[in-house]
Amino acid sequence: MISYIIRRLGYMLITLVFVTIVGFFIIELPPGSYLEFHIQSLRQQGGDVTPDQIQALERRYGLGDPVHIRFYKWISGFPRGDFGQSFQHQRPVGELIWSRLGYTLLISVATLIVSWGIAILVGVYSATHRYTIPDYLITVLQFIGLAIPNFLLALVLMIFLQQTFGMRVGVLFSREFRDAPFSIAKMIDLLSNIWVPIVILGVAGTAWTSRVMRANLLDVLNMQYVQTARAKGIHERKVIWKHAVRNALHPLVMTLGMALPGIISGEVVVSTVLNLPTSGPLFFQALIQQDMYLAGTFLVFFAVALLVGNLLADIMLAGLDPRIQYR
Amino acid sequence: MVETSAETIAADAGEEISEVGEIPQSKLIWMRFSRNKLALIGGVGLIIMYIIVGLGPFIASNYYRHQNQDYLFGPPTPLTFIGPDGRLGLQPYTFEFSTRLDPESFKFVFDIDRDTRVPLELFVRGDPYSMLGFIESDIHLLGIEGEQRFYPLGTDALGRDVFARLLIGGQVSLTVGLVGVALTIILGSVMGTISGYFGGLVDDVMQRVIELILSFPTVPLWAALAAALPPISRDFTAVHRFFLITVILSLVNWTGLARQLRGKVMGYAESDFVMAALASGASDARIIFVHMMPNASSHIIVVAALAIPGMILGETALSFLGLGILPPAVSWGSMLTQAQAVPVVVEHPWLMTPGIAVVLAVLFYSFLGDALRDAADPYSI
Amino acid sequence: MSDQVGVKEAGADQQVEQPSPQSNIVELRNLHTYFFTDLGVARALNGVTYDIPREKVLGIVGESGCGKSVTALSIMNLIQPPGRIVKGEVMLHRRDADGATTDVRLTDLNRHSIQMRRIRGNEIAMIFQEPMTSLNPVYTIGDQISEAFMLHQGVDREEARRRSINILDRVGMPYADTVVDQYPHQLSGGMRQRAMIAMGLSCAPSLLIADEPTTALDVTTEAQILDVMRGLQSDIGMSIMFITHDLGVIAQMADEVVVMYLGRVAEQAPVDSIFYDPLHPYTRALLRSIPRVGRGTKERLKPIRGVVPNPYSNITGCPFHPRCDEFMADVCDVNVPGITMTDDGRAVRCFLYSDRVEKNG
Repeated sequence: MISYIIRRLGYMLITLVFVTIVGFFIIELPPGSYLEFHIQSLRQQGGDVTPDQIQALERRYGLGDPVHIRFYKWISGFPRGDFGQSFQHQRPVGELIWSRLGYTLLISVATLIVSWGIAILVGVYSATHRYTIPDYLITVLQFIGLAIPNFLLALVLMIFLQQTFGMRVGVLFSREFRDAPFSIAKMIDLLSNIWVPIVILGVAGTAWTSRVMRANLLDVLNMQYVQTARAKGIHERKVIWKHAVRNALHPLVMTLGMALPGIISGEVVVSTVLNLPTSGPLFFQALIQQDMYLAGTFLVFFAVALLVGNLLADIMLAGLDPRIQYR
Repeated sequence: MVETSAETIAADAGEEISEVGEIPQSKLIWMRFSRNKLALIGGVGLIIMYIIVGLGPFIASNYYRHQNQDYLFGPPTPLTFIGPDGRLGLQPYTFEFSTRLDPESFKFVFDIDRDTRVPLELFVRGDPYSMLGFIESDIHLLGIEGEQRFYPLGTDALGRDVFARLLIGGQVSLTVGLVGVALTIILGSVMGTISGYFGGLVDDVMQRVIELILSFPTVPLWAALAAALPPISRDFTAVHRFFLITVILSLVNWTGLARQLRGKVMGYAESDFVMAALASGASDARIIFVHMMPNASSHIIVVAALAIPGMILGETALSFLGLGILPPAVSWGSMLTQAQAVPVVVEHPWLMTPGIAVVLAVLFYSFLGDALRDAADPYSI
Repeated sequence: MSDQVGVKEAGADQQVEQPSPQSNIVELRNLHTYFFTDLGVARALNGVTYDIPREKVLGIVGESGCGKSVTALSIMNLIQPPGRIVKGEVMLHRRDADGATTDVRLTDLNRHSIQMRRIRGNEIAMIFQEPMTSLNPVYTIGDQISEAFMLHQGVDREEARRRSINILDRVGMPYADTVVDQYPHQLSGGMRQRAMIAMGLSCAPSLLIADEPTTALDVTTEAQILDVMRGLQSDIGMSIMFITHDLGVIAQMADEVVVMYLGRVAEQAPVDSIFYDPLHPYTRALLRSIPRVGRGTKERLKPIRGVVPNPYSNITGCPFHPRCDEFMADVCDVNVPGITMTDDGRAVRCFLYSDRVEKNG
């Protein structure tokens, strides 16, 4: 088991190298560099930029170097936590991203747990009550949940909460707690705010996962071993939960690798709409302003989160299914 | 897994279902599909949507770029069926109105004169337009003779007809899915077939590339690629941008289809009909296009239909964030950018109507895709 | 709750045609099981009537799709929606310790009821066709066998495990005390089927339903499994209902044989009569289609012409008439033949033997 995990970590490292190459490719992709953007705005503000100044700026950002040197410069900073400079914020990228990435992950993982919990219950219910009115109702809700773009849901919920409850959406902490040290009260404050993005993100995830769960369980319920269990005289409830659900779960765990990118994508978009202090707003702002080291670093870390998520899913799967060998 | 469950379902039913030897598979698929009421709703709904959107310039009363400076954020035109004689009839009327600036709030106020009715008429001359690329006209389905204009869904911040923009934006949003899926099918089936058929190093490289693409979350990756597109200029028109956005959307989507087709092709490679073809000296191309593709076609269609909603939602999200379709082009997502601020939406709720259109389109496509999948392969997820 | 147990006094309605309940463990009467699918109603069973004799092996033969497995599931009351037993009855004649019999009408019991669950796995056990898929992949063999012990005999986990090893031993499982902790995927097909049989026999049932238990196995393993089953049958003194489409296995295993065609019984007879003096044209056709040692080499194997009609179709008259060599126009295609009892106690459904017409066919 441990050697399996180590080998998986090795593969992850290789993928990671390619991920950083893709990230750097994207950094290099925009036709104009941020520098041109910067010089242009300096000129617009009335200041004249001399060729000397431009050269100084270029040297500072290493723009004169060939591509592979720039890539090396960027990637070699990683172990030191140096991911380059944000032009827009005039601060190192590393300083800007940590807390925001942390909240993105917190919201994503919380959404995953909540939506899976609900989805499994809903999926089991609708699979065991096929062709009944509640099942049809659930199916309709699932379709709608998947059809509403999450940013639209964010907008609608935001308006609803503001208009009916006067709630301030778009913060993780109330003003009095924002800079306060960690405490129970601060946690409770976080919980009272964080459920909004979790609910918005969870709708599509729950709809999708419960559909998958329903289909899996219907598949498993047609398996011979379920009939075997029934033929033993076991109570139907135990047949479902002990013999069927356990087997229906692992295709679901296998889809974890697919669910996580969806949730992170959603978090990035939804937090932009709600203007939460997570990755989303900063990432899109960086893209629009072509602040590419910031955007590229975010992208690399999103990929890291997914890779780790996939690793955890594989380990979970191995625990769930005795047939999987740690080769 | 799919195969075993199919078997056990058949066994469960006492082998009866699998023994319907006299009903051909294609007929079974059609029987299952045509019995699905949701598929009917989805299909009819989409046909209606495409027709309305296609005839958009004619159906809308105004040109979608016309700016009415006197009617910024104007509410939908009020309608009544009670005529000037006080009788209820089939002829719709609206009222005369005037605009003035409120000196206190510095907002436009629309005064409606409830006593003066203005009839709404069919086939009224208005803004000139060109439709479907070959019809040039200035006749609109509904309108008001004279100076006053008809805005069924109000106007936006620049005084443009929201309904007209909804129809023109729909042309973009509803095309993105189709074009994107076409690209997905081409890329996915070529890559998947090559990977599955030739195997070895080709397959390994392809699988690693797919894994690499899948290790990024979709929307941020799309956004990063879209952000790299040059701004709209004479050389890089809105059409170019639209096309490249769909390319970006399908750049991620093809991986799923490629993986599934790879599996299918690998399965077929072992099958008797391919062995027989090989034994009779068929070329690789012949085996792929004559023997494998027709077998996989129903699968490809299902995957394609299920991918369209994701494409539409992707375009909408990108455009909403200002990274997809940019002005002067218009799509449902780009229309919704105006609805980002809560106070704006609360005062002008009609700006949210593109959201309803998106939900409907996605719903209809999911109904259709779901029904197709159930019909073609009722045992898979 | 509508869980009623239909109790009758033993031998209350003995008739000439009905053998005494003492000699039969289960009796099926006019059983109809339909599947209400999207594509229409599949009439899997169309009035199945036969008896399962006590402490004997009854073989059920027929082509795929004739309703063999559905009959088995109907007896177990395990037909899942959209399928349903629409008509007819299944009667279990339970023999108590003192030799008296109680009758339980299984078709009256709710399929989820406690009474039905106490019968399943305890009095009537079932083993399935595919040893590959009939064991749950995520639990050990021991866990799965113990489940039945703990459920029906109320023993604790440890005792159940001990009894599991014991029963595995009895079905000839090599290294039973290792296998008990192994997962199904670690065993071969033959070992899995032994484990299934062990599970089926765990509570010493009075009837074991074996649904093509050896079809998926190779010939040597098949022989071993059949041997084990035969041995245990006489040891425990249980009845076996053995479903197969392999007439060779029938000849080896069965005391009595039921031949089914399209949801109906064509013929029921002792095994020797079936092979040497078949009455129903379908049975004869079936026998002509298989090779037999000792038959003249000049004689050609003769396949049954045509195919089994799909179960959605509604054939009038005898279901076999489109394929029958003895087809009589205006007779066989008009009415469904009723059951004819011959003098030597055999049952056949064919107009060659009497004009009896099925009333509600």
